[in-house]
Amino acid sequence: MNALTSLLDGFGTALTPLNLLWAALGVLLGTAIGVLPGIGPAMAVALLLPVTYGLDPTGAFIMFAGIYYGAMFGGSTTSILLNTPGESAAVVAAMEGNPMAKAGRGAQALAAAAIGHFAGGMVGTILLVALAPAVAELAVDIGAPDYFALMVLAFIAVTSVLGSSRVRGLASLLIGLTIGLVGLDQMTGQQRLTFGSLQLADGIDVVIVAVGLFAIGEALWVAAHLRRRPAEPIPVGRPWLGRGDVRRTWKSWLRGPFIGFPFGAIPAGGAEIPTFLSYVVEKRLSKQKDEWGKGAIEGVAGPESAASASAAGTLVSMLTLGLPTTAVAAVMLAAFQQYGIQPGPLLFEREPDLVWGLIASLFVGMVLLLALNLPLAPLWARLLRIPRPYLYAGILFFAAVGAYAVGGEVVDLVILLVIGLIGFGMRRYGLPVLPAVIGVILGPGAEQQLRRALQISDGSVTGLVDTPFAVTVYAVIALLLAWPLVKRAVRRGRTAA
Amino acid sequence: MTTETDQAPGRAAGRRAWLRDHSELGVCALLLALGVLVLADALTMDVDIAQRGPVGPRTVPVAVGAGLLVIAALLAVDVLRGGRGRAEGGEDVDLSEPADWRTVLLLSGIFLGAAVLIEPAGFPVAGALLFWGAAFALGSRRVDRDPLIAAVLSLITYAVFDKLLGVPLPGGPLMGVL
Amino acid sequence: MRLRTPLALLGAAVLVLVGPPLLSAGGGTETGTRIPGLRLMVPNTPGGGYDITARTAAKDAEDAGLTHNIEVFNLPGAGGTVGLSRLVSEHGNGRLAMSMGLGVVGAVRSNHAPRTLADTTPIARLTEEQDVVVVGKDSPYRTIDELIGAWRKNPGKLPVGGGSSPGGPDHLAPMLMARAAGISPKAVNYIPFDGGGELLASILGGKVAFGVSGVGEYLDQIRAGELRVLAVTGPERVPELKDAPTLKESGYAVEFTNWRGLVAPPGLSGAERDKLIRLAEELHDSPQWRRSLEKNGWDDAFLAGERFGAFLDAQDERVVSVLKELGL
Repeated sequence: MNALTSLLDGFGTALTPLNLLWAALGVLLGTAIGVLPGIGPAMAVALLLPVTYGLDPTGAFIMFAGIYYGAMFGGSTTSILLNTPGESAAVVAAMEGNPMAKAGRGAQALAAAAIGHFAGGMVGTILLVALAPAVAELAVDIGAPDYFALMVLAFIAVTSVLGSSRVRGLASLLIGLTIGLVGLDQMTGQQRLTFGSLQLADGIDVVIVAVGLFAIGEALWVAAHLRRRPAEPIPVGRPWLGRGDVRRTWKSWLRGPFIGFPFGAIPAGGAEIPTFLSYVVEKRLSKQKDEWGKGAIEGVAGPESAASASAAGTLVSMLTLGLPTTAVAAVMLAAFQQYGIQPGPLLFEREPDLVWGLIASLFVGMVLLLALNLPLAPLWARLLRIPRPYLYAGILFFAAVGAYAVGGEVVDLVILLVIGLIGFGMRRYGLPVLPAVIGVILGPGAEQQLRRALQISDGSVTGLVDTPFAVTVYAVIALLLAWPLVKRAVRRGRTAA
Repeated sequence: MTTETDQAPGRAAGRRAWLRDHSELGVCALLLALGVLVLADALTMDVDIAQRGPVGPRTVPVAVGAGLLVIAALLAVDVLRGGRGRAEGGEDVDLSEPADWRTVLLLSGIFLGAAVLIEPAGFPVAGALLFWGAAFALGSRRVDRDPLIAAVLSLITYAVFDKLLGVPLPGGPLMGVL
Repeated sequence: MRLRTPLALLGAAVLVLVGPPLLSAGGGTETGTRIPGLRLMVPNTPGGGYDITARTAAKDAEDAGLTHNIEVFNLPGAGGTVGLSRLVSEHGNGRLAMSMGLGVVGAVRSNHAPRTLADTTPIARLTEEQDVVVVGKDSPYRTIDELIGAWRKNPGKLPVGGGSSPGGPDHLAPMLMARAAGISPKAVNYIPFDGGGELLASILGGKVAFGVSGVGEYLDQIRAGELRVLAVTGPERVPELKDAPTLKESGYAVEFTNWRGLVAPPGLSGAERDKLIRLAEELHDSPQWRRSLEKNGWDDAFLAGERFGAFLDAQDERVVSVLKELGL
């Protein structure tokens, strides 16, 4: 119960009026910057970090927590409204969120995302308080074969469960893996598919691929088939979540954290795999399967909740091991060092006030995020009422800004257009876009973990399956692949009987 | 695909209709070409670094390339058997009309133009032209209003990124002059 | 009505052309060591040596009031050559610098990278740092002799983890160690990680038999007892780790130190280059930086401009000759 009293002390510091003001300011600033194209949470936090420099440590961390959660939510906002994810963790939000927004349910999508962030953050932070030492201990036991197994699971899950046609899903995945191969080989620095070009040696940035396939591909596709009759403005609909929406999503909000949190805590985790997996899980469990791809609200609620919880998980390895697993965590490390504090195994003993103040401020930040952004959701959603030519011109404009801001290179814009044209072709021939994006995001990592696992085992293939964790994951994969066959067999059995 | 010529009916019109109907075979051809490209790149790579373990920088590209070839073949079989990828619908999408290639080409051209202009002319100019051009291509004809909207949007974006956030964007030819 | 169109066009043109310079006027004055919008690139993942160096330098420079708002960002890949080729492509950008070290020199060589450090503008060498040989707290090896004894028997089954790609310090150090212990460097099973974060987890979890990394990266974990130091690689013991013997005093003839510094894109004007060097010099003279050196177990090794450039050339030759000697 020591943790509980410490946490209560933390709340004591976090809840003074001045600190509440800092938290509110942080949430607003974070959301505003996170909404900008090409700026994901890591960059938003890095850009806003200097703002906190003038404050005392507690005030700074409270504001910082607000910025962090605000930026994550802001990133999902652009994903949902404009189909332009600012970073890989926000990709899934666009999958169902954008169709919802186009159907006039943008406010509900944003509300589902906001509550998802809230629920995920809350559950995640509670898990952080309760389990931090135990999770940190387990996290270091996850090794290369386990990561590889998890990535294979993600590949199989998106191609076999999502699309209507497995061949087309696989084709899309392979296109993504091919794009992911471009650049210098991570382990040996060998050039692959660069054709001697220096620009390609950097590899193709994930943001550019995601924005290209989603935003540019979509804009071109719409341009080719734009309804020529005067377009009706998108109905705004009711601004709030209806009772039916809540009934559909409350389970998703609560399921997300348990997928997201563990992934955040493991060293090579992050928010990508859990958001994808949460999406797949929600689709599997959904009763309204036909709505998927056209704006199923669970597809926003679950992944957003998972993403937020994975952020809390990130803090576990960051605070207890001093191990920054994501770019945001690295920026946080810098923020700690700003005050002469070194996160790591000794942090909880050395700086209990600050750590518990930070954890308490995470709770406060999430409450404020919800309180400020829920009323704003209908206002944001109005963005979509601007006339179609402006809307799609704006999407092209912001996609270009985002791609250029990532690296400041003109070549990136050309690559963006080429990938946009690929996205156009994929829409024309019904190739799902998501597997390609996942191939790009996870492909290079999967290859690296595969090679590392085989090297650790000194070349023996058993190195891929010598941990119970990996074996479990492969069993899940086998189940996933066999499921349609089993179901058919069962059905046949029933009709025969 | 050699099968196209085997199965296509003799008459030219019929053949054209068959090709239009089976245009997805083009996707197979592209996947095939991509697979060959990936394989060729992987196999011509000279690996001279002391490599440990069975998997080197070549292994995964070879697997991906082979996968592309297999998928190209499977997709061709699927298409010839009558399988079709369904074009993606959507709120703003009207699939009953034939594709409007002019707009797509125009948009691509405008995008490329903006990319070329961004360094010599600066981000505000290129961005404004991109927005205005795209809005024009998509059917907005308010010549008295659109350029101003585009210019203001572009300038605000420039100010936010370059001045407030410190993400450098090129300012244009007058930067050192004024 | 008809007038409005040309007016709109004219207005738009004036806005986009005249706006940016007007916005810049007044703001962002470059006085003294201030470089508005300075960005520091880290060519490996968060938590690694270059990352800590860059973030510490940025923070100390800000604390010392030399400049403000330095943005540190990571561009990992292929032992730092991905970041290097990006740096070189930012020709003439005086608001960018990259933290680097011996690892990048090695990676350029072993990767045959298209861009080398000779293409950059050298700014300054900042620190020198010994490598440490560490194991997790649950590891069966308690002394360097126990470890090397087991390693000799079966080098393939005792994988070594390091934070640099082949040719970098964490690769060269165990190779030199192996040679001194009578193990063929070719038999060593070296597993590269980009930076220190994931490597730390692999050592703690016993995925690799031991790790080789810079002193500063794991000081805290060592102090907390999560990691055990078996040896340091330099000529003498590290003040913060008095109990850890050097390899030399343990009977293995190895003396190895890593160094880190800053380079900038090519094509800078003389003034831009001098400004970055002056910033590095003032950083070096600041009390904040002194304190960070001590805290991280780094040795001061300041060397600026041309002389740093000459040092880079010499290091390049040294890496080539060592790799050849080791037969890799």
